[in-house]
Amino acid sequence: MNALAPEIIVAVTGFVVLLADLFLAEKRKHILGPLALVGLVVGGVAVFNLMPQTVEALGGRFVFNPVAGWFKLLFILAGAFTAIFCWQSRAKEKLESDGEFYSVMLFTLVGMMFLISATDLITLYISLELATIPLFALAAWKKGDPLSGEAGLKYVIFGALASGLLLYGLGLLYGLAGSADLQTIRETITASPALWLAAGIITAGIGFKITMVPFHMWAADVYQGAPTTVTAYLSVASKSAGIAFMFQMFFGIFGAQLSEWGWLIAGLATVTMTLGNLVAIVQNNIKRFMAFSAISQAGYIILGFLGPFSESVPSMLYYLFIYVFTNMAVFGVIIYYNDTTGKENIDDYKGLSRTNPVIALVMMLGLFSLAGIPPLSGFVGKFFLFNIAAKAGYHWLVAVAALNSTISLYYYLRIVRQMYMEPPTADAKSLSMSKALAFTFLILTIGVTLFGVIPGIYETINAQTSGWLSALQLFP
Amino acid sequence: MGLVSWLFVLPFATAIAVILTPAGMPKMVKKIALAGTSLHLALTAFVTYKFVQVAAFSGDAVKDALITHLYLVEKVPWFESLGIQYFVGLDGISMFMVILTSIVIFTGVLASWTVTERPKEFFALLLILVSGVFGVFVSFDLFLFFLFYEVAVLPMYLLIGIWGTGPKEYSAMKLTMMLMASSALILVGFLALYQGSGKETFDLIEISKVHFPIVFQNWVFPVIFIGFGVIGALYPFHTWSPDGHSSAPTAVSMLHAGVLMKLGGYGALRIGLYLLPEGAQNWALFFMGLTTINIIYGAFAAIKQKDLKFFTAYSSVSHCGFVLFGIVTLNMIGVKGAVIQMFSHGIMTALFFGLIGMVYGRTKTRIVTDMGGLAKVMPWLAVCFYIAGLASLGLPGLAGFIAESHIFLGGFVGNQWADATTMRILTVIATMSIVVTAVYVLRGLANVFQGPLKEQFKTLTDATLTEKISTGILVVTLAIVGMAPWYFIDLIEAAVYPMINRLGLTASNWMVF
Repeated sequence: MNALAPEIIVAVTGFVVLLADLFLAEKRKHILGPLALVGLVVGGVAVFNLMPQTVEALGGRFVFNPVAGWFKLLFILAGAFTAIFCWQSRAKEKLESDGEFYSVMLFTLVGMMFLISATDLITLYISLELATIPLFALAAWKKGDPLSGEAGLKYVIFGALASGLLLYGLGLLYGLAGSADLQTIRETITASPALWLAAGIITAGIGFKITMVPFHMWAADVYQGAPTTVTAYLSVASKSAGIAFMFQMFFGIFGAQLSEWGWLIAGLATVTMTLGNLVAIVQNNIKRFMAFSAISQAGYIILGFLGPFSESVPSMLYYLFIYVFTNMAVFGVIIYYNDTTGKENIDDYKGLSRTNPVIALVMMLGLFSLAGIPPLSGFVGKFFLFNIAAKAGYHWLVAVAALNSTISLYYYLRIVRQMYMEPPTADAKSLSMSKALAFTFLILTIGVTLFGVIPGIYETINAQTSGWLSALQLFP
Repeated sequence: MGLVSWLFVLPFATAIAVILTPAGMPKMVKKIALAGTSLHLALTAFVTYKFVQVAAFSGDAVKDALITHLYLVEKVPWFESLGIQYFVGLDGISMFMVILTSIVIFTGVLASWTVTERPKEFFALLLILVSGVFGVFVSFDLFLFFLFYEVAVLPMYLLIGIWGTGPKEYSAMKLTMMLMASSALILVGFLALYQGSGKETFDLIEISKVHFPIVFQNWVFPVIFIGFGVIGALYPFHTWSPDGHSSAPTAVSMLHAGVLMKLGGYGALRIGLYLLPEGAQNWALFFMGLTTINIIYGAFAAIKQKDLKFFTAYSSVSHCGFVLFGIVTLNMIGVKGAVIQMFSHGIMTALFFGLIGMVYGRTKTRIVTDMGGLAKVMPWLAVCFYIAGLASLGLPGLAGFIAESHIFLGGFVGNQWADATTMRILTVIATMSIVVTAVYVLRGLANVFQGPLKEQFKTLTDATLTEKISTGILVVTLAIVGMAPWYFIDLIEAAVYPMINRLGLTASNWMVF
């Protein structure tokens, strides 16, 4: 099959949804959600079909490889869950412009999928922009809501700054190597102050995308102001795309230099998780809260860049894979609860275990998985990442990361306390749920509880990617 | 699935059954929980029988063993590329701890017969917790061990936070935070062992064949020992324990003090001492000093307490100090004593907390000075209380005596790596605690059960049938271990040999593996 098949399918779905939105009668527009979903599923199947081979397209500017394939699966999964939540959502902003929402989201997905397959700087940069610019519009999707507008504006400004930085860094790299081809750059660059400058600027640019401290300032406001479906999408898909970009840069270009930068990565990971966790403690709005939680999660993921990457990449992919399910489970509950009651503060979850025990259980499992409590999936994902840090000899960093998990448990338990220990408020009532949403929550819960215990997923990722990664021989 | 797996699968399955019980049937929930735990008691008896059949307790091979020999092993690859496997089995120490846990959970369920608030969640969490505990005792893969360890710790938060008394949310959070922070240390230690062994496996037995460099042992041993020490109430990390125990509901205190704190001693022994013998040699005296403070401080703090639960909690700090003290004596008799102390303290504290719950359920107060003369209206509870108290001050004929005499002997015999005089001085200081224990136990009991009976307590009743069964089992167990300890000593001795034998190894001896 053509290496571009998944991207083509997703892009075509985007256009079909856009056109259908134009021609469908108002009362039939509810099929747009399933339409987008079908497109994503077909795209996912196309990715599966291509695995685990390495296929080139566009004259070598685009390469499908196992690592890229797994990243694409992650993006598609995140997009699919977002589509379901949007389809099931009864929020006002959703009813006004349903079709556009799906198509804009699908276009960002195409950008992300291109990003991880790009083999030269120009494709890389253009796909990054394709993945980012539509997100600005998504953040401001709630028309007339000042918070959403603010979110959009902030996102544009910081996003533009990040893009500018990246472009500058990539430009320097081009200047150093005289080529835009990633492999050529990797083979020609040598350690020099200019390379340091380029790497530093690029890291800062990536830092914005993956909410790495100290480039995280935009996250809280954007996460809070954006429609909750978009927040969910940002926290999972956009972050994974940032990690994909980091992967392209750090492993694709800097490769050999990476081992000297361990202290820098360790330091960034430390401040990212610590600050994210400490600030999350004092939040009251659950979306802001999840923003800081997501920041700290970024800190854990960066640990993966410390290790020999034939082992760390499978661990990172596995962590992200679990993270999609875990974070989507939590956001699913937030979206659902916000839709049905209009509430989004932590205090509003009082007594949820009494009025809606199943929802409360899904939420609790999701939060515990984020905190890394065994035997939930999040624990296994974290364990493997920490193992990479230990392998690289950073035992102190393992201690920092594990203590951070303890801190994070403190604030996740705050919500659990509200749900399980406080009595429900007078107006709380049992909420109904559609079958489709209940089914989605079932899948998410299976992901949260079983994907860590079943070895198959990690072993598959490992078997498909580690061979390809070691064959690259980036480290001489 | 083999026998050993059933040890933790059964409570978990019972928990699932409890969750699936239709709402509004609290009686049913309790019956299921009781049936599950009774079945578990029978299963444990059967496993013990099987274990005794296959295990070799004597012979030169056992005495000279350097590697722990496991029985009833089940081993299945899990995450193969990382060397993680599902690896469970039993040696004498695990077997002993499994027996303890099975007894305590059974009596704990009986003692929670009066729980009326959200019984479904209560019993489900209790059973999940205990399946984690069983898992820790039978797993011999570091990954699996850690996984079960945290499963055993976290449900405590909800159990104390929802069903507790007093400042329950504060206590629950403090306990969870301290134990989770300690598990962070344990994680660091485990990953260091995994990477340091160079064997690409989490298999504890395989890792134990590796001789780690001294520098490595010197930093990993304290990390592991303190990590497990926190849950074993090692001074100065014991502060979660009085708060947690006093706020917890009866059955949870029983399980927590009776079983969960034993995970600390068990881990320190199984991972710390067994895998890092030279680290243990270098740190033994330091930790012996800390545990001596533990023992004395706990005993003196207990004197000052007015609340029965705080009183028992501090006495637990003191007695758990004995466990860790016994481990760092680094000789056969001391370590054996530590293991027996784990068992005897587990049964004794479970009895204590169970009785306190029963008394509190009647008097609605736990303040010692508010009570008096209760023996007149509740003779059964009073007698059991006295037996528990006497066991705790080490009366011969009860389990506490066997354990403590072993530990003190161990401290006196000493070892070749620590200064003998210092060890003896510390042992003498620790032994003094028995006198202090006698003071607080006897005075406390006298205040509660003797003297004139207060007017408002005259209508109170003695133990019900379920309460009699649960306390009766615990008392009988204390007496059996106290009077016929050789069965149990046989059981654990074979498992302690390899741990002690490794201590004397020189670097060239390690080459045999």
